[in-house]
Amino acid sequence: MISFELNGKTVQLDAAPDTPLLWAVRDHLKLKGSKFGCGMGLCGACSMLLDGESTRSCILPISAVQGRKITTIEGLGNPNMLSTLQSAWVEASVPQCGYCQSGQLISATALLSKNNNPSDKEIDNAMSGNICRCGTYPNIKKAIKQAATDMQKGNGRLQMVSHFDPLTQKEEV
Amino acid sequence: MTTPTTKNFTLHSKTIRASRRNFIKGLSLAGAGLIVGLPITACANAATANKNPSALQPNALLQITSDNNINFYLPRSEMGQGTYTGLTTIVAEELDVHPNNINVIHAPAHDDFTNPDYGLQVTGGSNSIRTHFLPLRHLAANARLVIRQAAAQQLKLTLADIQTDNGHIVINGKTLPYGDFSDDANTLPFPENAPLKDKSQFKYLGKNAPRLDGASKSTGTAKFGIDVDFEGLYRAALKRCPVYGGTVKTFDSSAVKAMPGVTSVVEIHNGIAVIAEHYYQAKNALAKLNIEWDLPETLAAFSSDSSDSDNGKGLFKTALDSDESSNAFEQGDGLEALNNADKVITAEYWAPYLAHATMEPMNCTAKLTGDQLDIWVGSQSPDLAKLTAAYYADVPKDNVTVNSTFLGGGFGRRASNDFVAEAAAIAKASGLAIQLIWSREDDMQNDFYRPAAMAKFNIGLNKDGLIDSWTVKRAGPQMMPYVLDNIVDGFMPSFLPNGMVDWLSKMGYSLYDSLLVDHSSVEGLYEDYDAPHKSSDHVTADPGLPVGAWRSVGHSFSGFFKESMMDEIAAQLKQDAVEFRLKHLTNNPKLANTLKVAAEKAGWNKPLPKGHYHGVASHASFSSFVSQIAEVSVENNQLKIHKVVCVVDCGLAVNPDIVKAQMESGIIYGLSAALHGEIILKEGVVQQSNFHDYPALRIHESPDIEVVIIDSDDAPTGVGEPGLPPIAAAVANGIFAATGKRLRNLPFKLDS
Repeated sequence: MISFELNGKTVQLDAAPDTPLLWAVRDHLKLKGSKFGCGMGLCGACSMLLDGESTRSCILPISAVQGRKITTIEGLGNPNMLSTLQSAWVEASVPQCGYCQSGQLISATALLSKNNNPSDKEIDNAMSGNICRCGTYPNIKKAIKQAATDMQKGNGRLQMVSHFDPLTQKEEV
Repeated sequence: MTTPTTKNFTLHSKTIRASRRNFIKGLSLAGAGLIVGLPITACANAATANKNPSALQPNALLQITSDNNINFYLPRSEMGQGTYTGLTTIVAEELDVHPNNINVIHAPAHDDFTNPDYGLQVTGGSNSIRTHFLPLRHLAANARLVIRQAAAQQLKLTLADIQTDNGHIVINGKTLPYGDFSDDANTLPFPENAPLKDKSQFKYLGKNAPRLDGASKSTGTAKFGIDVDFEGLYRAALKRCPVYGGTVKTFDSSAVKAMPGVTSVVEIHNGIAVIAEHYYQAKNALAKLNIEWDLPETLAAFSSDSSDSDNGKGLFKTALDSDESSNAFEQGDGLEALNNADKVITAEYWAPYLAHATMEPMNCTAKLTGDQLDIWVGSQSPDLAKLTAAYYADVPKDNVTVNSTFLGGGFGRRASNDFVAEAAAIAKASGLAIQLIWSREDDMQNDFYRPAAMAKFNIGLNKDGLIDSWTVKRAGPQMMPYVLDNIVDGFMPSFLPNGMVDWLSKMGYSLYDSLLVDHSSVEGLYEDYDAPHKSSDHVTADPGLPVGAWRSVGHSFSGFFKESMMDEIAAQLKQDAVEFRLKHLTNNPKLANTLKVAAEKAGWNKPLPKGHYHGVASHASFSSFVSQIAEVSVENNQLKIHKVVCVVDCGLAVNPDIVKAQMESGIIYGLSAALHGEIILKEGVVQQSNFHDYPALRIHESPDIEVVIIDSDDAPTGVGEPGLPPIAAAVANGIFAATGKRLRNLPFKLDS
């Protein structure tokens, strides 16, 4: 039995220790926001926050997250309660096909949580692990800068959801 | 699915034997589908895919329910290109309701959602907005009128008294929702000729507004095919022959069945599937399968490794240099005119096979209950998915329900339904509800690839240095035979034996090999510039790797070829690349205009930072016109693309922000191909497998992009694809300006 904190709630999993975190979350815990893209940690579609760092969950065995804190896209916000980044994302119409966007938002959240005024170069560095085949990069840059501006004003929040229960799919703010 | 090859191809029988008892319907669908378009307005009582008795429902696309829901059944697939927002905005405008207040529902597979240009329920060819623009406006305008008529009747007022605003009837400042009148409206004859709004009255069309799918796609709540899940659903992974078209000779699954979670191992038409409780279990178990394959001869003998002495292109080069060809287009004296030229300039270009590499790997969920089959899939051709699934699960077509989802990228890949065939076959063979998920490796190595292409231009110039004859010959595979092979299973009458169906699907190949030129083989090679004499020829060179539509189809290589050629001519004549193009665009004023605007915006011929150079390219495709100017530098053989100015004339931009995003998208997708994209075969096996050896452009490589949309009163034209064709040439022409080196092969290799 492996236990870790997922979006603010402790979860216990009865699965093989080498189960990739991505599939544990998608298949066992039924949170579908994090996506499978490459299975090799190359594309970033599966990105989750591991203790605040953007991490490729498709190659991370659940044994490695025992007792640690995981945040998925479901832990950032929802359509009625968008985080500052998510609002900027919607306003700038960043998503096209949308498939990579959960991972993009996780990496951007990790960036802004440490740096609320990133330069172009810093954005490139933080986001270059996330591939978007639709080429939403120009709008990603635009949205990150908009969110950074909002954060600097002190009225932004990178995480609207403090607890998300994967079993009931209920959120607490 | 079978493997056509250039010569001596052999027939591979399908291992699955399905009856086709529903053939008459299939035939009538095929026959009628070719001529019947989407009705502009249908009568209110028409039988539809989704009849709601408590709604005003002029046809399958629109419902205004008496409990005040406005439902729009999205007839085209949303794969990133923006139809979800664009088509809804068109309805919203004439219905006079804010687009946010319309519920958008992905249409299931049904004749009611046929694409009028194709007679099939297909999304592709950048035609969603342009083909639905007027029909949807008429539909919505007529619906608004009948609601007003019903309101006038019910409230005993004249029609002129009844105004509307955001889904409501407005009378003397009082508002009542449309739904209050939908039952009464249902009793009135549905109008046919309600006047359309003038552009000056538009509230939503032509305005920027956030995408309607933005919030769901920014919160992980948008549902893609891979997200489908329900109680009792198992996951499947499939091992296919490493050479496309190969079939299972023998297999040993003894080591697999003991693997954790494994439920079942089944053989289907093209491989062995492992079914497990969870996907990673099925995928892990797959590695333990021992399979011996029967290989397809021709493809297994083909290698295209570019390190080979003939640069891996021998097959294409031999075809190009042969006397064989089919003429696709001729004007004036065609090739003969070259004899009268003052000077002839010649060049050859190459573009490799390419994978689509959509972010969401192919997947399909299939649940067979008795002879009822439910399919969940993100597809660019849900009706073909339905026919394919019926064939491979051996159920009547009418028993198949296709549940459509968002597509995690399409780019032409999801027009083919090979993965639907597999899912249906696995569900049939196993008796389980299964979700087939492809790994990235499966996806990269089992694509319907962008056809490789080689082309040779002979351009005759007159004594004034103007183009007198524009002649070009292209060698490569044709797409149509593979498209036909893909769909023929579903359309063939069931009394035909399978062998004959296979033979018929091959007929497409022989037909196209010897008689017909698929237009996509030559499109874009010869049309844009003025020349009194033109000819365009094609010769098939095809090792048997499946090919299909890849974003902008033939234009994906012809834009690079033609615009590089134009640059070479201008350079040899020591003429300005923009001026020289403009001299030959008298008959193509819209393309000329985009070029002029691009030159002005980019500061063509104005000083650039030290070491920076401009390259230009213009190309018309999908009824739109695009010019691009790339600003590049090359230092120590390192290419950097600093900026791209992109000017597009696409008629009315329904949502300018989305048009801009599609231009950026086409440029970035095109740059991935130009800088990195190459599928290489060794003895028929695709060598690339994941993003490490088939890289996609990442954010730090992505240039600044400035998009200018030409203001236009004309009807909308394509935007999903036209941004792509010019970009490789714009960059290559910039590299030439920077280094004097002419790159005639894709992807660019600066050190070669």
